[in-house]
Amino acid sequence: MSLRLVRIDDRLIHGQVVAGWLRAIGAKRIVIVDDATARDEFLREVLTLAAPEGVPVEVHDLASGTARCAELAGTPEPVIVLARSPRTMLAMRQAGVPIEVVDLGGMGAGPGRRRLHKTISMSSDEIRELRELEQLGTRVEIQIVADDRPISFRSVDSGS
Amino acid sequence: MRAFRIVIAGHGTLPAALLSTAELICGPVADIAAVGLQPTDSPDSYAASLRDAVGHDGRRVLVLCDLLGGTPFNLASAVARRSPRVVCLSGANLAMAVEAALADGDLDDELVERLLEVGRGGIVETERHRARRAS
Repeated sequence: MSLRLVRIDDRLIHGQVVAGWLRAIGAKRIVIVDDATARDEFLREVLTLAAPEGVPVEVHDLASGTARCAELAGTPEPVIVLARSPRTMLAMRQAGVPIEVVDLGGMGAGPGRRRLHKTISMSSDEIRELRELEQLGTRVEIQIVADDRPISFRSVDSGS
Repeated sequence: MRAFRIVIAGHGTLPAALLSTAELICGPVADIAAVGLQPTDSPDSYAASLRDAVGHDGRRVLVLCDLLGGTPFNLASAVARRSPRVVCLSGANLAMAVEAALADGDLDDELVERLLEVGRGGIVETERHRARRAS
């Protein structure tokens, strides 16, 4: 499986990703799937600058990101996939992208979101989407940095 | 006399430590600020601190960031892209901070090149460094 890390993170590329995960899994490519970012040329450029030399950053909207991830999943190249929302991951999974594990890496507190664990907060819609992902056979885990022991989403989801 | 402001941007206490340590080497430094990203910061709150430190007075500003791709760098590089008076570097180390603090004159291409060179030049392994010095 070449989609080595499929992660939900508000900040997309940041220190934990470049200094931690990139090294830990030896990824050679970062694929961002986010409609808002794909529409914003400035943001795309800033994110492209954020990766070290030799690690290309691709920014896709949901449609092209789904096709790209499905394609990359069948290659040996180790890839990090980043999105901001559970909805994006669910849509990709429903479209047939083979996602074994979704990592919850950073979901900041905000209006309508409640805190489930450390830096992981989410809305009731997002909780529902993650439960649906699990029903489709994707494991949902919280692992903020590579050294953390993964915690299952189920263990912090009180079921309310 | 240095004609630009310096902002050290990075994770946690590193910017403040880099600033105070640079002052150990070159004495009190004027017109410099350290902005550390704390676990309690959001990207928005950190961007606001960064903009405050950069200032709104039209002066040129050198932002020294600790880590390529980190949030401080990402936000500072966005500021620099939007504002040509701001120059953003990553991989800041003590040698670069001291060189910048002691700089004279403008924040021009020549200085930026020198800062990059000084920053890279101090990264050695002693045996390899010795071999190269001897040859």
